[in-house]
Amino acid sequence: MENALARTVADLHPEATSVEIEGFAPIPGGFSRETYSFDAVVTTADGQTRMPLLLRKDPPATVAILETSRQVEHDLIEQIRTTTNVPVSRSVAPIMDPAVFGEAAMILERAPGNPRTSDLFNDGPDTDQVDDVVRHLCESLVELHLSDVETLNVGGALTDPRNVGIDISSWDTYMDSTFEYYISSYPDMDFDPSMLVILDTFLTLRRTRPRPLPLCLVHGDFNPANFLYENGRVSALIDWENSRVGDPREDLGWMMTMDVLSNTSVMSHPHDKGGFLAYYNELTGFDVTMEELGWFTLFGTCNIAVPVNSAIKRRVTGHHDEFLHLYMVPSSAAALPSFAHLLNYPGVEL
Amino acid sequence: MNTSPSIDDLLAGVIQALGDQVLPALTDAKAQATAAMSQSLLQTVRQLLPVYDRCLVEEHNDMIQVLQDASAALAGIDAEAAQRIAATAASEGARDEIPTPPDRDAVIAGHRALTTALGDVVRDLDELQRAGIDQADDALDIVRTHLGPRYLRDAATVTVGGGMIGRG
Repeated sequence: MENALARTVADLHPEATSVEIEGFAPIPGGFSRETYSFDAVVTTADGQTRMPLLLRKDPPATVAILETSRQVEHDLIEQIRTTTNVPVSRSVAPIMDPAVFGEAAMILERAPGNPRTSDLFNDGPDTDQVDDVVRHLCESLVELHLSDVETLNVGGALTDPRNVGIDISSWDTYMDSTFEYYISSYPDMDFDPSMLVILDTFLTLRRTRPRPLPLCLVHGDFNPANFLYENGRVSALIDWENSRVGDPREDLGWMMTMDVLSNTSVMSHPHDKGGFLAYYNELTGFDVTMEELGWFTLFGTCNIAVPVNSAIKRRVTGHHDEFLHLYMVPSSAAALPSFAHLLNYPGVEL
Repeated sequence: MNTSPSIDDLLAGVIQALGDQVLPALTDAKAQATAAMSQSLLQTVRQLLPVYDRCLVEEHNDMIQVLQDASAALAGIDAEAAQRIAATAASEGARDEIPTPPDRDAVIAGHRALTTALGDVVRDLDELQRAGIDQADDALDIVRTHLGPRYLRDAATVTVGGGMIGRG
């Protein structure tokens, strides 16, 4: 792998007389992509430069949890970096030829800042920064949501990145086509019939949809672990692979879900603005209600539940033998009471 | 309870992962032996599970009869040991027989069929709800009232302390 990286970095720097790869190591966490940290030491006639970089590599297609394109992720990151103030790491290059690293991959600059966002919460060492960091996080999300969709949706690649028939010509067609995707996907994801609470969720959400808001570019995995920070500011929003055109409340709902699961309290900050939702509403004028947030908590969870459970079902039905997917079975079962709770199933208190 | 993957599927997956991903990476001889013994023990569990309850019940019921028959064979023997056997037969041998447990495969098949039927009901109720039939709300509540405690019990049963490895 290091040799392939050295050759790739050398290709990107034809002026280099040598490229050394140092500190190559996998970064644990994140189940959808394999991520490695390394420094590329590039020597040219002018001297030596050390480049802190990341390699994000696809898993084999059969075991992929989210089938997304590194080219699309690269294009989006670069479009955000060059046309907005949303903090992102520069994407150096997509490497789409699987012959190089075994699967498609991308190389990104490693952003400065602390990735252990749990340090901001629960008596962590950086709790003095939490209001400032979350304020900037909220402002960054607002800028993303208010940015021109056409500018960020390069070549329309984020209209329907999963290629499942999503129609963004209006909010209603977006919702109709998304529910069609969810409901038609159910037979591909129900590795056990007792998962029918997810089917109930799809159908209930379709019957009870909220008011429309303008569609925008959503991060798609906006959660307490997907940013870095330093000096009271977000230094990078990371992991853009599930980004797409959608309803802005999807990012808020998913953050609310993951805030609880991560034992963080992003949604309670910044305190002086009355919390994340109040500040978001102040900046956008969207007036998102808690009831809407509850609806989008479920909607956003469905968006992740479909590919995750489909990957598990492919394992259970023998399409591949990846152990991780078997390991995820109990976690999937343990998540079902949350669906039941949010749908107000009688007797389900968490 | 989930019926797929089955308990046997989970155990088979662990045995396979130990062989494919763990054993080849181990360099220490004792660690290799431990991994191989773990595979063997898990295979033992796989073989025990399908027959364990039935075998226990059969043996339980057989032993009741054995105690009674052994005692009967000693009828008329005037010895303390024979009296102790008779006493044991009168106490332990007087236990009630336990019914043979139902065939697990049949239970699982029935469970899957019923749960699948509930899924079909939820789809049909959605059609009725969208048609404005209020009673469908009540019917859905009946289904949800059954499912809710199931999900809570399942989650409590499968959750392992320490959370999911690799997620914080």
